[in-house]
Amino acid sequence: MMRPSQIALTTFYWAFIVYLFLPLALMVVMGFKDSNFIGFPINAWTTRWYLQVFQDTAVLHAFGYTLLISIVSTALSLVIGTWCAVFLGPARFWGRALVFAVMCLPAVIPGVISAISMRIFIRAIGLEPGTGAIILGLTIHNVPFVALMVLSRLGAMPRSQVEAARDLGADSLVAFLRVTLPFLFPSLLGASIFCMLLSFDDFVRAFFLGGYQPTLPVLIFAELRSGMSPAINAISTVVLVVTAALGLWAERATRRLKGTRS
Amino acid sequence: MHRQSTIARFTDVTKRFGRNVAVDRLDLDIAQGEFVTLLGPSGCGKSTTLRMLGGFETPDEGRILLAGEDVTRLPPNRRDVNMVFQDYALFPHMTVASNIAFGLELQGLGLGAIDARVGELLELVQLGSFRDRMPDQLSGGQRQRVALARALAREPKLLLLDEPLGALDAKLRGQVQIELKALQQRTGKTFLFVTHDQEEALTMSDRIIVMNAGRIEQDGTPEELYHQPRSRFVADFIGETNLFACQVRGSEDGRVVLDWNGILLRAAGSVESLGGRTAVEAALRPESIRLTSERPDQANALRMRIVRRVFKGSRIDLDLEAQDEPGGNAGLKASPDPAAIEALVGDTVWASWDPGRLAILQA
Repeated sequence: MMRPSQIALTTFYWAFIVYLFLPLALMVVMGFKDSNFIGFPINAWTTRWYLQVFQDTAVLHAFGYTLLISIVSTALSLVIGTWCAVFLGPARFWGRALVFAVMCLPAVIPGVISAISMRIFIRAIGLEPGTGAIILGLTIHNVPFVALMVLSRLGAMPRSQVEAARDLGADSLVAFLRVTLPFLFPSLLGASIFCMLLSFDDFVRAFFLGGYQPTLPVLIFAELRSGMSPAINAISTVVLVVTAALGLWAERATRRLKGTRS
Repeated sequence: MHRQSTIARFTDVTKRFGRNVAVDRLDLDIAQGEFVTLLGPSGCGKSTTLRMLGGFETPDEGRILLAGEDVTRLPPNRRDVNMVFQDYALFPHMTVASNIAFGLELQGLGLGAIDARVGELLELVQLGSFRDRMPDQLSGGQRQRVALARALAREPKLLLLDEPLGALDAKLRGQVQIELKALQQRTGKTFLFVTHDQEEALTMSDRIIVMNAGRIEQDGTPEELYHQPRSRFVADFIGETNLFACQVRGSEDGRVVLDWNGILLRAAGSVESLGGRTAVEAALRPESIRLTSERPDQANALRMRIVRRVFKGSRIDLDLEAQDEPGGNAGLKASPDPAAIEALVGDTVWASWDPGRLAILQA
């Protein structure tokens, strides 16, 4: 027997799940529809949209380009973010809170604002819109996430770890490379997956800072304007599956690593 | 104090954290091959003293010498000392062997030499078959031994141990104490050990340095500290004790006569050594008190009634109250051997002790 409050909660939960997944499910289903128009009823099924997508060089190029941008910006964010965290972690200096706030700011500024200001900025320093500009914009946006994740892991690291390394003859650089960095590994893995996902599906920065070559989200947007086609559903489904799989794997991997290695 | 071949020397060392003085003008010599324990309550400066020798804290004043060399401002990686940390600080991403090899690699030893030395150390701590385990696959006692092997790997001049037994359960701790002492004697290394556990200090040390509020309260062998505490702090901190607030009455047969609430007690020593003090405190260990039914032929003998009796297995703790004496409410604690005492609560007995066991405190 369920009490009324439990029934209400359960109903609400399932309603939320439907609300969350129905649009996604609809998108996936439509990608298999054998017709040029999106919508019900579905009379025939096909996988030709997928074949078409995988043969479309524009899509493949955009995919590769987005992947490259994501990887480079993630790598930069990891280095800068880890540096920020290590710098801020143990230090107790005047103005620490201010430095911390400034570091976190890019994460909370609305994307449009930061993208437009970056656009003005790159023009001011004589940089052309394009690959470099997008990477710059994404890196600045990602650094706070890396720094926060690394900081929390750093907080869980006993002071004695680095002291033991120093005690056994390591200078501060060797101690960082051989003891601190391996300890941070789970959070670095988690942060890099998170940054990859953030960068890969970023539209606003790629749109404002990009040159002639479109990233995948920009390409999809451009194709949408020329009319909805189930091909877009196919692209989106592929991206959805890949990112969801990556996200789930990363979540499990970091949890397992933190469990055994702390 | 001068001993042969001093390995480490603190001269007038002071360390402050903000306004708090952690270590206050400390002078300390540690001789080659000694097992020295810094003993005291938390916040007494014992860990700070250890950490200054390790290089993790820098003194505000004074100098620290290690084998004659001034190491006061040297970073930890350039000192010939190694530390066993309270939480062991094993590197979680390395195997047991890699943990032990860490310091050897940084010394620039060849792979073969490292491998041989790691094997040797694993044998020393009896963990030969645990070479490829990860630290999280070891028990607390095994981790402690790996930490010990790792710290010994570089043949340090001095081994620092920061409460390394605190995380072990009571039974294991007793066993590890014996092992640690045996290891120290076998290797001939100088050990500087920090603990707040007086029993641990008594079990293992050649010499105990009792610290309080950043200063040394007393420096001596375990026996000296136990039977001749210099201060009330030491008498209180180490073991159970009876404290007597007494007036000095004079001397008699080479002994000091003390007046404790009207009861006259005799203590070893001379009035001259008291430096003119007329009011002193004296300490007496409960197990130094003998209980008899007949009046013994002893300078210190009181007729007392047993008011409480607690059986502790290897001993009995008794609370005694003085009878037929001017200070009628005067109480004592005694811990006789259970086999030697049959008296029960309410019985009246004679409590007596040797004047040599009654220690007059110097502070």
